[in-house]
Amino acid sequence: MIASIDVVEVALALCLTGTALVCLFDRHLLRACRFFVAFAIAMALAWWQLGAIWLASAELLLGAVLTGLCCFYALGHVGSSGSSVLAHDHFSEPWTRIAMRVVLALVWFVMVAVAIGYVLTDMQHSPAEHPLLLAGVVIAASAMASFALHRHLLRRLLAFNLLGSGVFMLLAGVAGTTPTAQVLISVGLLVAALGSMLGVLLIRQLLHLQGVNALDHDSGPKESAT
Amino acid sequence: MTAEWLPITALAIALLVTGIIFVLPEESHRLRTTINLLAAVTNIVLVTLMVRRVAAGYEDIFSFQVVGGVDFVLRTDALGVMFAGLSSLLWLCTTIYAIGYLEGSANRKRFFGFFSLCVASTIGIALADNLFTFLIFYEMLTLSTYPLVVHRGTEQALNAGRIYLRYTLTAGVVLLLGAVLLYSLTGDQSFSSEAGLGDYLNDNRGLLTLIFALLVGGFAVKAAMVPLHGWLPRAMVAPAPVSALLHAVAVVKAGAFGILRVVYDLYGIELSVELGVITALAVAASITIIYGSLRAIAQEELKPRLAFSTISQVSYVILGIGLFGPFGTIGALAHLLHQGLMKVTLFFCAGNYAEELGIHRIDEMDGAGKRMPLTSIAFTIGALGMIGLPPFAGFITKWYLGIGAIQAEMYWVVAVLVISSTLNAMYFLPIVHRLWFRLGPSHGKGSWPDEQRLGRFETHGWLLLPMVFTALVSLAAGLLAGLPFSPLDWATRVANGEYLL
Amino acid sequence: MIWRFGLFDSTFTPLATTHWALLTVLCLPLLMGLLAALFPPKRAWPVLLASAPIVAAGLMLLFAFNDAGLLRWQWAVADIQLSLRLNGLSVLLLLTTQWIGVAAALYTPGYLRLSDPGPMARWLWPLMGTLISALSLMWLATDLLTLYVALELMGLAAVGMLLLSGKAAALKAGMRYLLLALVGSLTYLLGVALILGHWGRLDLQGLAEIIEPGPVAWFAAALVGAGLALKAALFPLHAWLSPVHENAWTPVSALHAGLVIKASLFMLVLLWSILLPDAFYAPRVIAWLGMLAIVWGGLLAWRTDSLKTLVASSTVAQLGYLMVIFPLLLGADVAPLPRALAWEGFWLQLMGHAFAKAAMFMAAGNLILATGESTLKGLAGTSRRLPLSLLVFGIASITLMGLPPSAGFTAKWLLFEAMIITQQWWAVAALLVGTLLTAAYIFRMFRYSFDESAPRQRYQPLAPGMDLIALTLALAAFALGLFAHYPLGLMHGGGV
Repeated sequence: MIASIDVVEVALALCLTGTALVCLFDRHLLRACRFFVAFAIAMALAWWQLGAIWLASAELLLGAVLTGLCCFYALGHVGSSGSSVLAHDHFSEPWTRIAMRVVLALVWFVMVAVAIGYVLTDMQHSPAEHPLLLAGVVIAASAMASFALHRHLLRRLLAFNLLGSGVFMLLAGVAGTTPTAQVLISVGLLVAALGSMLGVLLIRQLLHLQGVNALDHDSGPKESAT
Repeated sequence: MTAEWLPITALAIALLVTGIIFVLPEESHRLRTTINLLAAVTNIVLVTLMVRRVAAGYEDIFSFQVVGGVDFVLRTDALGVMFAGLSSLLWLCTTIYAIGYLEGSANRKRFFGFFSLCVASTIGIALADNLFTFLIFYEMLTLSTYPLVVHRGTEQALNAGRIYLRYTLTAGVVLLLGAVLLYSLTGDQSFSSEAGLGDYLNDNRGLLTLIFALLVGGFAVKAAMVPLHGWLPRAMVAPAPVSALLHAVAVVKAGAFGILRVVYDLYGIELSVELGVITALAVAASITIIYGSLRAIAQEELKPRLAFSTISQVSYVILGIGLFGPFGTIGALAHLLHQGLMKVTLFFCAGNYAEELGIHRIDEMDGAGKRMPLTSIAFTIGALGMIGLPPFAGFITKWYLGIGAIQAEMYWVVAVLVISSTLNAMYFLPIVHRLWFRLGPSHGKGSWPDEQRLGRFETHGWLLLPMVFTALVSLAAGLLAGLPFSPLDWATRVANGEYLL
Repeated sequence: MIWRFGLFDSTFTPLATTHWALLTVLCLPLLMGLLAALFPPKRAWPVLLASAPIVAAGLMLLFAFNDAGLLRWQWAVADIQLSLRLNGLSVLLLLTTQWIGVAAALYTPGYLRLSDPGPMARWLWPLMGTLISALSLMWLATDLLTLYVALELMGLAAVGMLLLSGKAAALKAGMRYLLLALVGSLTYLLGVALILGHWGRLDLQGLAEIIEPGPVAWFAAALVGAGLALKAALFPLHAWLSPVHENAWTPVSALHAGLVIKASLFMLVLLWSILLPDAFYAPRVIAWLGMLAIVWGGLLAWRTDSLKTLVASSTVAQLGYLMVIFPLLLGADVAPLPRALAWEGFWLQLMGHAFAKAAMFMAAGNLILATGESTLKGLAGTSRRLPLSLLVFGIASITLMGLPPSAGFTAKWLLFEAMIITQQWWAVAALLVGTLLTAAYIFRMFRYSFDESAPRQRYQPLAPGMDLIALTLALAAFALGLFAHYPLGLMHGGGV
């Protein structure tokens, strides 16, 4: 069944994974945001490829344009305030924390993958048939890791957005692009966009009140995969 | 004619007064006093009505369903009405006393509000007809007395409040566990049901004993039985009316009353004997009686001595329960009333000495009889009654308890009674001696610790009146014990009901 | 379990008036909220006027349910099935939501007038309206899509409300809450994705029939459970809760602790009873965590110096009570009687806690507003000057301690009976310990308030009614406990 591997899909999946990883793990925030926009555009293409025109346009509008603008606004590149103080994430984490989060993300990755394996039994035999689904698992896992690892609020926000995209991709992968699934994803997209807007406003306000240090979280997050 | 409104109205009035007092502003003293007295008098009238109806053979029941299998039931039965009568009578007296005692001090709104709530809970306890309803009011009592104990807001008072809560809330949890265990075993058991729990004996002997231990253990904390008595002497920091109410009626008696209900109305006396828990109860009560008296002798201040005396005296009630037989029961029930009247008199006296002359220690009391004759006479009546000299009220109780012990062939109880009476005399007679036969400041020797002229009489009229009244009533309870509706007569009526004589 | 949630076909179709009542209940809070953003009310009476039709519609739904039993509405929009149902439980939760919502709304004008909230204050109203609408939708929804929409709407509105106070600490806590809530809903969504992918439908009634235990159901339950537990602040995912409440406005805290957290828990129970109908381990894990929550939450509340943290931490402990019941609600091999008792106790505890916690936050807010201090030490002497606020706090705390005659007590009684019948002694012990711990931290607070040695302060007078609203809520928790028979009877089905 090798012939059934869709070159376009593979390329898209690679592209998505690549941009996502850069976006998640680049300490240079502006570059990360640019890659996020690129990722969102790739997502829109992926939806188009899957035949969900409505989702593609929603992703383009909400994901690429709106959320992208939000991120740049948070960095101080859009809007009136000229205090562009956010360039790099300077926080450094102890290696124990990193190790903990990596383990956590791995557990999450395995769990999601196994669960999807149960839902789509044929995938166990030919995983390469669903490149977008694979990309979704990878993105969701690395976004989760990144969300748990980072303390910079903007980076966590980006991680959340990518996690969302990963989850949407998984949803479309396991449930197809039925109307129900499309509605679920649209709601999710809308919520993600609203949440990002809220988050960005918060970040600006915090910067305004307390300066750069405000974005350092005092204690680590508490969520786990299960 | 049925009058199911009767029990709920008595309760509702007390609750309503609580609400009104909390809504009224702090400054409207006169209105608050009026409402308080009015409600107290109304309640006495209502309880009198109940007494008449119970005497005529009616029992009024008010009930509604709380959840499936658990009802809220109030019922006027002989035992309950007895306790309700005691609390509403002493409510009136203590309210009058408190009005005089707290005159001009702060936080009176809070005080009287929780005071009424306390009385409402006591009435609820008296009229509750099943364990669930009983627990509701029992816990309400715990909570509503806390603000009274810490009323003065001093470090000492706050600590006493904390200890009080530690004891009573833990006891509440134990009680709750026992109650739920009982409910899951037997379902909703009315105190009035004739059957008792005899049917469950064969299969669940251990469980029934455990439940008994939990329930009685929980109640014993409030009844201040050794070793669960630690909160009571410390709670003495409360103002005198509170001590009077706590020690004479509400709290300790609620505990004793709970044990009465469990033994007589829930388990039934036969089952209790069968389980063998009754003797244990009698032994525990005896230990408490002796221990409390010994500790009382060691106290050098008046209120702590009275407190330990309470610990000792309340256990007479428990001891009476522990004697299987009608005479023990009569003694126990009569003592519930007698001790309440006498103890409240003694606390009023202690409060008067402290307010008028600043006396807190016993060695400061020399010659106070000359300065405050009425108070001292009342104190003497109370003290002699506690010792159990004829013809005072305490004698009747001890007499019946003694007869009960002999009938039950528990001769060691007689010994306990004799020892305890001797000890009572040892800690009360010296005080009486000091009051009347020693020369003190009123004879021009030294001066009182903190003398104040509070009124035209020997002290403030509001302080004097209730004290004289309760002293007279307790005297009458002893002298006129043979008349109908005397405490003894009523106790006999209740005991007849329990033993079906 | 399924029939308890009303997931079956109805006998009667709703009347026309009932349709209107439903519409009013779902939409009017939102509309009124928007209206209030345009014309912010300065007094309580316009709020009362605006909430009257909403409450009236809620009562109409109650009567409709009483007459006809379960009611069901269904729409199909382009292949997507949407449905709502009204059973006893949803009526109860709906009324609870409305009443607490109205109380919070009535409380707000006075609070805003006194606390100098800044320009953001007017946005509180639409958010509050959205929240009430979303919650109402959630109690009625019967498919995962509608539930998801309601959950998100509620979550975003809640975050928005918590942020309004605008202090840096509030923003930080709010940001954390926002991120965690969003991740929580994505986790939930992933669970839904598995369900949709495997069984191809989202309506609960249909799912309840076809779901069979297996790895997919377990994974979906784990994902959904993790997401919702995060939002419901179930131990050990509770860390975000206290900081959020520490800085929020009083009516917001009241709504959040009273209702929002409960909504996630409601969904958790609903979905798990479909996905894991006879599971053994999952409910037990929750119960063990619940026991830890009771102890840990109690200790947190005991150690804290801040009044609001005390109230917020007590939520963690109280949620522990609810978690401890999970094995009885969901576990296999539970006889019908204890299960029914546990079911009644669970919802009674949940509703009683909602009322009491809302009242408690309001009383705490009143105390803080009047004294200007947010620490426990700052309360010294308040028993003299602010007896009513303190009394309300006390009455509310009786429900939390589970002492009679409150809903907490009746609920605890039912739960004890269920646990004793099933011989779950560790759960009994947990509840008993919880009672004592609650008493410990509550009376620690009262100890400060009775301290008379503190210097006299100037107190800001409160707006009329602020204490009375809180008192009404606290007494509602009492009434719920004493007259629990009627509401619990509603849950067994109406129409008779």
